[in-house]
Amino acid sequence: MSNGVLTAPGLAFPRETFAKLTPGPFLHTHLKQTKPLRPNGRTPEEFRQPIVNTGSLSHSNGSTVVRVGDTAVVCGVRAEVLLASDIPNPPRDGMQDEELIEELGLLVPNLELSTGCSPANLPGNPPGTVAQSLSYRLLTLLHDSHIINPADLRIQYTEPPTEDDETGYAPRIVTKAYWTLYLDILCIAHDGNLFDAAWAAVMAALRNTVLPKAWWDPDREMIICSPLVSEATTLQLHSLPIASTFACFSTSSHLKQRKEAESWILADPDSFEEEICNDALTIVLARHQNAQTRILRLSKTDGSQVNAEAVQGCVALAEQKRAVWESILTGG
Amino acid sequence: MQADRRRVNAPPGGTTPPVFATPSNTPIARPVRSRQPDEHRKIFLRTGFVPSASGSAYYEIPPETTSQSKTLLIPSSSSLKITCTVHGPRPLPRNAAFSPNLLLSTHVKFAPFATRSRKGYVRDSSERDLGMHLESALRGVVIGERWPKSGCEVVITVLEGEEDGWWGDAQGAEKSGGWGMMGVLAGCITVASAALMDAGIDCVDMVSGGVAALASDERGNGTRIVLDPSPSEHDIKAACVVGYLQSRDEITEMWMKGNAGVQTEALIDEAVKAAVMTRSVLGEAVKESVELKANHTDRNVKEKGSANDVTMTG
Repeated sequence: MSNGVLTAPGLAFPRETFAKLTPGPFLHTHLKQTKPLRPNGRTPEEFRQPIVNTGSLSHSNGSTVVRVGDTAVVCGVRAEVLLASDIPNPPRDGMQDEELIEELGLLVPNLELSTGCSPANLPGNPPGTVAQSLSYRLLTLLHDSHIINPADLRIQYTEPPTEDDETGYAPRIVTKAYWTLYLDILCIAHDGNLFDAAWAAVMAALRNTVLPKAWWDPDREMIICSPLVSEATTLQLHSLPIASTFACFSTSSHLKQRKEAESWILADPDSFEEEICNDALTIVLARHQNAQTRILRLSKTDGSQVNAEAVQGCVALAEQKRAVWESILTGG
Repeated sequence: MQADRRRVNAPPGGTTPPVFATPSNTPIARPVRSRQPDEHRKIFLRTGFVPSASGSAYYEIPPETTSQSKTLLIPSSSSLKITCTVHGPRPLPRNAAFSPNLLLSTHVKFAPFATRSRKGYVRDSSERDLGMHLESALRGVVIGERWPKSGCEVVITVLEGEEDGWWGDAQGAEKSGGWGMMGVLAGCITVASAALMDAGIDCVDMVSGGVAALASDERGNGTRIVLDPSPSEHDIKAACVVGYLQSRDEITEMWMKGNAGVQTEALIDEAVKAAVMTRSVLGEAVKESVELKANHTDRNVKEKGSANDVTMTG
C-alpha cells in the first residue's frame, strides 16, 4: 500500500489509524527507512528539550514546573522540622554523615500519577505499581547520589557552659532538630519518560529551595525560624545528576532466528513508544565540579536485546544530554 | 495513624511546620485591595495542555507582587492555580448498570503544596464536598441524553488554593472560615467548563463561576459587597458562589456561607456579575482553542502525502 495519494480515500487509512491498529509494524516501518525517523518526527537519538520554570508556587520552599515535550511535572519542596528528641531511634554517635539522611528519612519524595494526567491514570485509586516504583527509584537515587550536604539540614545549638564545667571547657554543639524535605511531585500531563522529567524537576526544585534561618529557643523549648529572606540560605547541591532513558525496539520474536532480529535504540521515548518497547535503559550521569563525568546509576530491564556497544553509545548520548540539560537547569 | 505503605512516609518521629518569629522592627501589613469593589482579578485560562486527555484546561489568577513578598519568606497572599482534565465520554464498564444519560463524575484534589499547611494525599471531606458542588454545577449544563451508557470523568488538581484568611490574623490556629474554598469552587467551575468545551462535550451553554463577598468596609464602619474577594485582603462576613449560564440566565449552583441578612439578594446579584466577567475570559479561551484546532486539521491535511508519510508493506 502506498500512501500519499489523496484520491483514493477508500483504501488509505490516516496515520493515526495505522498507529492504533498495528503499533509495532507502524514503528518498525518508520525506523527501517534509510534515514530513520520516529513517528513523532524525531531521529532515534534525539531528546526532547525541557522547559523549566522555577519558583512558581508560593507555599513551597522550592518549586519547579518541568515540561518535556508533552510530559509536564510539577515539583514542590516543603521543609518541616523534625525534632531530635522525637526520633525514636536516635542516630548512633559513630554514624557517618552520609548515612544520616537515609537513616532518618529526611528526604520524602512522592510521585503522584493519579491526577488524570493520562486516561490510564485516573484518580480515586491508591498509587499503582508504576507510581510506587518511580517514587522508590527517586528515593534511592537521592540517597545514592549524596547531593545534599547533611550539615545543611541540621539545626544546631551551642549549649551554654553550666556551673559544673571547668573553665576553658569547649562549648558543646548539639543538633536539636533536622529539616525534613517533602518532595511532592505531581504529574500533570503524561507523555512518556516520566522518570527523566521527575528527576529533573526534583533537581531543579532542590536547587531552588530556600531554608529559613532556624535556631533553638531554650526558653520556649522549640525551634524558631526567621521569616526574613535576607537570612535564609539556598540549598547547595554537590552535583547535578541528569537521568537519560532509552527504549529499545526490537523485531525479535520466538518465531525468528535471533540473528535476523534488528533493534533500535530510541532516546527519550514518548508514551506511544513506551507501550511498544518493553525494554528500557536508564543512565544517570553526574559530574562534580572540574571532574570527570561518572555513571551514578545504570539500570536496564529485560536484558536480551541490547549489546555492550549499544550501551556505550547510549552513555555517550546521555553525556551529551547531561551537558544540555545541566545548562538549562542551572540557567533557568 | 497507620502509615501508608504505598507511599514514602515522613520520618517516624513526625515533623512540624516551621514556626516563624518576626522581628519586631519588621512591620507586617495586611495586603490591601488595590482594585475597585466591582473589579475582578486578572484570569489566565488556557485549554488543551494535556494532549492525551479528551479535554483539559489550566486556570490561574496570577499573584500580585508586593514589596513585602520580597523581604519575607512567608507569602503574603496566595494565587489560584487549577488544572482540569476531562476523560470521556467513554463506555461504562461492563458491570455498570444501564444509564440513559452520560454519567458525570467529578474529582477535586488539592496538591500537598497547595495550601499553607501541608495537605495529605488522601482526599479529605472538604475536597469531596467541593467535588459534589462542582458536579451539581456541571450536571445541568451537559446534554447527557446524547451519550447513553457512557461515563465522563472531570478531574481537577488544585496546585495552589486560595487562603481562608490573612495569615497574620490566625497565629498558630488555622482559621476555619472556609472562605478560600468559595474562590476555589468558582475557579473549578470555570476551568471545568473550559475543559468540557475542549473535550467537545455538548453543553446547553458555557457555565462560569463567580464569587462575591460581604466584607466589612475598611474605611467606614459598615459593610460593602466586593466581587472576587481575596480572603487575605478582607474581613469577610458572608460569601456566595454561583455557577451561572449567561445566555439562559440560569443558576446551576449556588453556595452561600455566613449571614448576609437583608443583603442576601444583592450578594447573589454581585456573584452573578462576577460570573459574567469570568465568562468573557472563558469565551476567549474557548474561541482560541477552536481556532487552534481548526489550524491543526488544516495543517494535517496539507502535510498528508508529503515526506512525513511512510510506506507500509507486508
